[in-house]
Amino acid sequence: MSDRSRLDLDEIRAIIRLATEADIAELVVEAAHVKVHVKKTAGAAPVTAPAAVSAALPGGTAAAPPGAGGHGAVSSDGARPAGEGAARYVPIVAPMVGTFYRAPKPDAPPFVNEGDVVQTGQTVCVLEAMKMFNEIPSEVAGRIVRVLAENGAPVEYGQPLFLVDPAA
Amino acid sequence: MFKKVLIANRGEIAVRVIRACHELGIRTVAIYSDADRDALHVQMADEAFCVGPAPARDSYLNVPNILSTAELLNVDAIHPGYGFLAENAHFAEICRDCKITFIGPSPEAIAKMGNKSQAREIMRRAGVPVIPGSAGPVRDEAAALATARAVGYPLIIKAAAGGGGRGMRIVHTADDVRRALAAAQTEAEAAFGDGALYVEKYLEEPRHVEVQILADGRGAIVALGERDCSVQRRHQKLLEEAPSPGVTPRLRRALFRAAVRAAEVVGYANAGTVEFLVDGGEHFYFMEMNTRVQVEHPVTETVTDVDIVKEQIRIAAGERLTIPREIEPRGHAIECRVNAEDPAREFLPSPGPITAFILPGGPGVRVDTHAFAGYTIPPYYDSLIAKVIAWGRDREEAIARMTRALREFEIGGVRTTIPFHLAVLDNAFFRRGEVYVNFVQRRIDLSAIRE
Repeated sequence: MSDRSRLDLDEIRAIIRLATEADIAELVVEAAHVKVHVKKTAGAAPVTAPAAVSAALPGGTAAAPPGAGGHGAVSSDGARPAGEGAARYVPIVAPMVGTFYRAPKPDAPPFVNEGDVVQTGQTVCVLEAMKMFNEIPSEVAGRIVRVLAENGAPVEYGQPLFLVDPAA
Repeated sequence: MFKKVLIANRGEIAVRVIRACHELGIRTVAIYSDADRDALHVQMADEAFCVGPAPARDSYLNVPNILSTAELLNVDAIHPGYGFLAENAHFAEICRDCKITFIGPSPEAIAKMGNKSQAREIMRRAGVPVIPGSAGPVRDEAAALATARAVGYPLIIKAAAGGGGRGMRIVHTADDVRRALAAAQTEAEAAFGDGALYVEKYLEEPRHVEVQILADGRGAIVALGERDCSVQRRHQKLLEEAPSPGVTPRLRRALFRAAVRAAEVVGYANAGTVEFLVDGGEHFYFMEMNTRVQVEHPVTETVTDVDIVKEQIRIAAGERLTIPREIEPRGHAIECRVNAEDPAREFLPSPGPITAFILPGGPGVRVDTHAFAGYTIPPYYDSLIAKVIAWGRDREEAIARMTRALREFEIGGVRTTIPFHLAVLDNAFFRRGEVYVNFVQRRIDLSAIRE
């Protein structure tokens, strides 16, 4: 089995955690190679208690076990989030293979932190490949809600690096 | 020996290389495109990394992403398989600069053999017979017509940088030359980024006979045997066999000597194949040398018991060749390429989900495949889905085994070339070993092929 599925599972865990913490009913994250649809309550009343939220997370809706046919298997049936309360976060994905760095230099502050507002075209990280540092611009404007990749980690093509809330 | 090898390929050949690595105790890294997430090579490798979107130029040909992956995952060597980057001298050179072993010959040897007109000239000077034709690349119509006057019609116009049948035209008159030259030039430019062409005598009914060689770069060069790949359609091989039914012991010795000489003169190391055309009078002519493992390598493996892919890895790791200089082939082997194509409809590609996939088995049958029930053949890459190799004590038994193996092979959901192969195996000319490169065109009625 490849290391891929473990990586994906980590990403998915982060997404589920995010959905659990945020005051939302539904979360759909779509990237080139993965689509995760987290629905906190199966049509029930708005949830207020975080503990209850975790319990109500229907495991089958979001995270598939590793090895169940690769990453494609984590996508839900493509149901659209309907009505109010639905949030749609957009990932910034790696456009190339490389090592992910959040800052231009080891001692410099990160380009962006969770909670920062980014503009389209703003540098959010660098990817080192072939001894070259490539500044990666955001393709979306909004608030960084989550940094998904770890500083210094190798990332593959299409891997989600940040989650952005375009509405913020 | 290497600790970790990256396989810069997909499909059955990636699976084949992973198997060889695992038998040698080497860890494997698969690369894949967005379209290949569920592919077998991704599941079989110890690690897998996505290197780009579906189009090959952005993934399997994406040199920066592939080399970044190799560096990030600390691989010692890259096996390029066939196609994609396998005969890219520039890629082999970058690997060398990055201190990653390219499992194949040197960039210099790849470059020399990759340029067809240069290769021809090197062979001519080394005393290896070549087909009469233009001395170098033909730049214009006048030069092409001058060659035509010197060697006579019919002629074939080929891309200097080409291969796989693209950019090739057969011409019978001066008018044909004028028309074909422009078209071949455009095609060559589009396919290879190089519009240079050369013109040579076209042989009417030649066999395609190629010699598998292994060279360890320390002076040992072994000719492992020949393969007959005459059953082709539009220059694409469909069925290959070893030994060739049309090669006498005397001709075989001459072919082997010429193949070894070809490898020697370019300082070749690793596995390679020297392709010849053989006419009815036992004359043979050098066509080209493929500086990589071939699709049809299993037929040679089957009759020699040499694992060519493992030898490639051992040679690249600096080991000496330990196989004997003279290997007598054991029995007869045939390979049929099962492509997801519809032979009843001009071999139209037939991608899509495979609903059933039941492999043939039993004595003397080997299947190399990356497909399985539930696998979806993506439309972006080549259509090869399985290679069936049948062995027999003699050619007759090999044909009988192949026939029953292909009848056992059940593939649901997509059209395949199996009915075509059954028609070939049943053809009286084929059964007598009377095959040549235009055999399919002349002897097989494609309109009579039905599922």
